[in-house]
Amino acid sequence: MDFTFSEKLAQLRDDARSFAEREVEPSAASRDQGRRWEPELFTKLAERGIPGALLPREQGGRELSALETCVLLEGFGEGSGDAGLSLAAGVHGLLCAVPIWKLGTEAQKQRYLRRMASGEWVGGLSLFELEGGAAAPNLTARAAKQGRRWLLHGAKAHVINAPVAHHFLVMAVTDPSASPARLSAFLIERDTPGLRIRTPAEPMSMRTCPSAELLLEGCEVPEEALLGTEGAALSEVLPLLLALERTCLAAPWLGLMRALTERTARQAREQELFSRPLARFQSVRAMLADMKTRCELSGDILYRAAWQLDHLTRPPRRDAAGAKLFISTSAQQVARDAMQVHGLYGLAPHHFVERAHRDSMFLTVTGGGSEVLRSIIAGSLLNLG
Amino acid sequence: MDFSLGKAQMQLIEELDRRFQEGIARRAVDADREERIPPESWRDIVESGYLRLFHPKEIGGLGVDGVTQAMAMESLARACGGTYWSATMSTLLCGKLISTFGSLERHRRLLDPILSGEQLGCFAVVERTSGSDAGTYRTLVRQKGDEYVISGQKARITNAPAADIAVVLSRLEDTPGGDNPGWCFAFVDLRQEGVRRFKLPSMGLRAMPWGGLIFEDARIPKHDVIPVPFKEFAEGMAWGWLFISISSIAIAESALTASIQHASEQLSFGRPLGHMQGIQAMLADMRTEIDAARLMAWRAAWHRGEGRSARELIAMLKAHATEMAVRVTQWAVQIHGSWGLTRDLLIERLYRDAPMNVIGGFASNRLRELVADSMGLDSSPYEPFDWLAPTGLAHDPGEPPAASLARVSG
Repeated sequence: MDFTFSEKLAQLRDDARSFAEREVEPSAASRDQGRRWEPELFTKLAERGIPGALLPREQGGRELSALETCVLLEGFGEGSGDAGLSLAAGVHGLLCAVPIWKLGTEAQKQRYLRRMASGEWVGGLSLFELEGGAAAPNLTARAAKQGRRWLLHGAKAHVINAPVAHHFLVMAVTDPSASPARLSAFLIERDTPGLRIRTPAEPMSMRTCPSAELLLEGCEVPEEALLGTEGAALSEVLPLLLALERTCLAAPWLGLMRALTERTARQAREQELFSRPLARFQSVRAMLADMKTRCELSGDILYRAAWQLDHLTRPPRRDAAGAKLFISTSAQQVARDAMQVHGLYGLAPHHFVERAHRDSMFLTVTGGGSEVLRSIIAGSLLNLG
Repeated sequence: MDFSLGKAQMQLIEELDRRFQEGIARRAVDADREERIPPESWRDIVESGYLRLFHPKEIGGLGVDGVTQAMAMESLARACGGTYWSATMSTLLCGKLISTFGSLERHRRLLDPILSGEQLGCFAVVERTSGSDAGTYRTLVRQKGDEYVISGQKARITNAPAADIAVVLSRLEDTPGGDNPGWCFAFVDLRQEGVRRFKLPSMGLRAMPWGGLIFEDARIPKHDVIPVPFKEFAEGMAWGWLFISISSIAIAESALTASIQHASEQLSFGRPLGHMQGIQAMLADMRTEIDAARLMAWRAAWHRGEGRSARELIAMLKAHATEMAVRVTQWAVQIHGSWGLTRDLLIERLYRDAPMNVIGGFASNRLRELVADSMGLDSSPYEPFDWLAPTGLAHDPGEPPAASLARVSG
């Protein structure tokens, strides 16, 4: 057991943080207000190797480990204060790209990965894919083999990056009669006939992250669009998605919590109430002490889950689920407390504290909401299978 | 960063687990009921080498690393909380303070019997006046001829009724010409005429001797009084906070193990209790909370094992982990239903043990103040705090609102 935070890790985090402070944070409030995506900004992230961090060097990535990627994204979250952009970059570079890297054919890897690492092509994925076979029937797609082509039909909601993506990782049921469902994964490009993007109503959370609905209406794709083994997406693709979502995708929030705590401490020192700094009031001091404690606890449990991903052939599912559960509930608590200490100043729309509070709502409802995570953890403790 | 455990490390802990579960754990119910540590348990501890784990080889210790120490602590704490507190207070608090603040030549004679288990030590800090407000402490050490004498009273001290030796935090009387920091650690032999003891009944951790010491000009050899600047005393508290946090982690882990078993076996509405989502939610939260606290405790232990203070981290840990165990034992009682309310069964004892740690070694209220201080949020706890009165917000006109409203509109 060794808790040394190496020079390399510190450097990764510091570099990402200062880059994000300089390039991302200044426009965050305005992009949140206008729900605006800036392609040049994403290109800058790609030039810094942020979205492609995990990918191999030969594909333009940085070949970082899961732990190193977490630390990088932690720094990015802390400096940017932008949960939405962190989500967009994470879904693109981790959830969409890594399955292509691990399961794709040579042709698929050559076609997509380098352009994803460089930011030229953005990848999209529906958050409902993270529910695997549990996704509601009207949110899954069906795929039927017709000769050497597949015909897809269905709808996907909450497809992250949909408005700007070049391609999508889509899971579809390929054998409706089978139970449990047999799902297959496909890489579908935006300009495929029968694919339509429909922008839904304005979201209240993660507004700097583009998202929309994906409609597949008689969408025909070639055989080569199949990713991985037919019918095996639940055992091949889903575990990758879940492992990354519960570690690297949660990592920016470690940084966001630190930023919220630091910002709130500053507010407490500077803002006066009844002629004294807020920092003199015991209730405020206690809240800040707890916020700092939450940051420290969340770091350890996240790093452990990431380390397990790097070092164990079978990382315990409950440890990754536990990390996501702990960080998501902690982040919501920290954001809520930050709002409380900021008082009326915290109600300024689209600015960091208010934005972080809204964005934090996202955490416990998706990708395995808290209730699902608790059942997964308990199932593992009770050997419920 | 490396989250793996070494083979030798695992073997040591497995051996301790086996020994402590076979002996000490089986006597835990009786120990709690009779409010004493059975002599066989003390023998188990001595024979296991536990008392030597926390010290370097040069003074008869085993020199193991910080995380192994933490794991060993948890192993004993899981067997019996009161026994754990007593043994660890003696070797880790009393023993470490003597070895840190004393000198090897002069104080080896005090350390050897603590490490061998022949003698029991305690660390006497708080007084009847206040727990965390050291400003109220009155116990005083003063020079008398070529030795010192100590007078005063310490209350709510682990091991006090049974200890042979105490490290006492005391005020130090000024002497002409010296640079006196005002405070000292006094190594006091408790088996002398000037020392009386009393017992206090506790809610939990009942196996542990608990009570107070009354000093009436008790004598201390010259070199056994170590002047210490007050801020150094926090260093001693840090070991205490770490060991108390681990006590809580152990309580919580024991509660979870029992709850998993109960949820698997107890049938309700045709299925094991564990099939109920509400029960699952509690078990999952218990597992996650314990894991997070334990990792932080191991990180703190790792720092201290490498000679770093980590005091701020340990303050955060203590406030959090102790309160966590109270939440977890509450859930455990809930899961066990009436079995959780039955005396002489495990869960009810754990539920009583948990709050002892929240308050023991400074209540979490005080610890949060220390964490806030370390974040640069300056405040003095001695400042008067009557900010509300001048604002008019609290003013009560003393008549019903309806009456005054009627006057205004009428």
